[in-house]
Amino acid sequence: MRPAAIITRLGAGAGWRPQIDGALAQVEELGFIEVIAESIGSGPLPPGIVAARERGLQVVPHGIGLSLGGAERPAPARLAHLASVAERVGAPLVSEHIAFVRADGREAGHLLPVPCTHQALEILCENVAIAQAALPVPLALEHVAALVQWPGAEMDEVTFVRALIERTGTLLLLDLSNLYANALNHGYDALEALERFPLERIAYVHVGGGVLRDGVYHDTHSHPVVPGVLHLVEELCAIADPPGVMLERDDDFPPPSELVAELRAIADAVRLGGERRVRP
Amino acid sequence: MSAPDRGAYAERQAHLLDALLRGDDFPPGFVAADADAAGVALRRKRGRAVAHAWPALALCLGDAFETRFDEFDRGAGASASGEPLRDGLAFALSLAEEDEPLGDDARVEMLLARASLRRRGIWLRAACLREPYPRLLLVARLPRAGTRQRSFAIGRARW
Repeated sequence: MRPAAIITRLGAGAGWRPQIDGALAQVEELGFIEVIAESIGSGPLPPGIVAARERGLQVVPHGIGLSLGGAERPAPARLAHLASVAERVGAPLVSEHIAFVRADGREAGHLLPVPCTHQALEILCENVAIAQAALPVPLALEHVAALVQWPGAEMDEVTFVRALIERTGTLLLLDLSNLYANALNHGYDALEALERFPLERIAYVHVGGGVLRDGVYHDTHSHPVVPGVLHLVEELCAIADPPGVMLERDDDFPPPSELVAELRAIADAVRLGGERRVRP
Repeated sequence: MSAPDRGAYAERQAHLLDALLRGDDFPPGFVAADADAAGVALRRKRGRAVAHAWPALALCLGDAFETRFDEFDRGAGASASGEPLRDGLAFALSLAEEDEPLGDDARVEMLLARASLRRRGIWLRAACLREPYPRLLLVARLPRAGTRQRSFAIGRARW
């Protein structure tokens, strides 16, 4: 087992998008922003990100293109880009996904799940090791929401994620929206699964919105956060002290007042859970 | 454990991606309803990404954009790149071949996309447009300069 990376305290956070830069700049409680690494080009950093750093916020690059769960080894150019973004923003860590995003030379345009098998675990561990060797900061891995599951699973998703994190020494980007979505769509207990994640390895937590459509819950990041996900935030904080918890909003951006209200709802859930943890 | 067979793993992933894009021929063992839902969601997300990259084209098609792009994406299948600009251009060209009336803004988007997707050499195209005023638009892609555009009013400009 590789030694665990050191975990940095982040606080309350949000996914930075140019469309909500102005709104986020008004939120004094923010401790960090997450930026999509592939959206950062070789030119000057977006002014909103520079301003966030000047306000004292930490910036976490979030990769979406390494395809660590893919059959190919991660591309050196993509690793170099992620490493470069991490250095340019002074990141305490970077994050990526337990997923594949391309196959046979085609881009999926989405994060697709990997089989929960020993073979897939071996390939992922190899790919993650390559990534870790190329990155100047610790790497956190996010489990994804998946409407479809591979047949022939040899373990459940949480066991798979735990094994991957422990073998590679990476950190966990716990996505409570993805947990909620997968539990609802595939019929298992989200709270029971939550307790089995390697909570001691949490780098930070994602909280995003979704919608139930034709009996299927879609983790869209373009709808309000549903009460069930906020409940998971509180339950998590009742049993663990995550270093950072952030709101993900990628599309259909609401007015600033609604964005702030969502951030406050997450903060309230964190606080309520924390009060239960220290006063059982 | 022996070294993992990345080749076989790659084939399985390619088969799944292909099936999700086409909406059929899923590998054995997948729950059909889940696979269908995943395919719809994937194509919808790809459609939204193309709509963001091609706002004039999306506006041109209106409510029909999602359905029309889904039909195109399913049919394009193996040839779809998954890159919004490139797939949007392929979609726009397919619409033009079907004589779908594309507004001037969408035609400008096509020219700019074709220019920016060029990797080498000089590329120059012209188009006569009516909106917002009668004009000749020149779009060029030049080495080291990237994409450039210039409009020349035709006749008397309307204000």
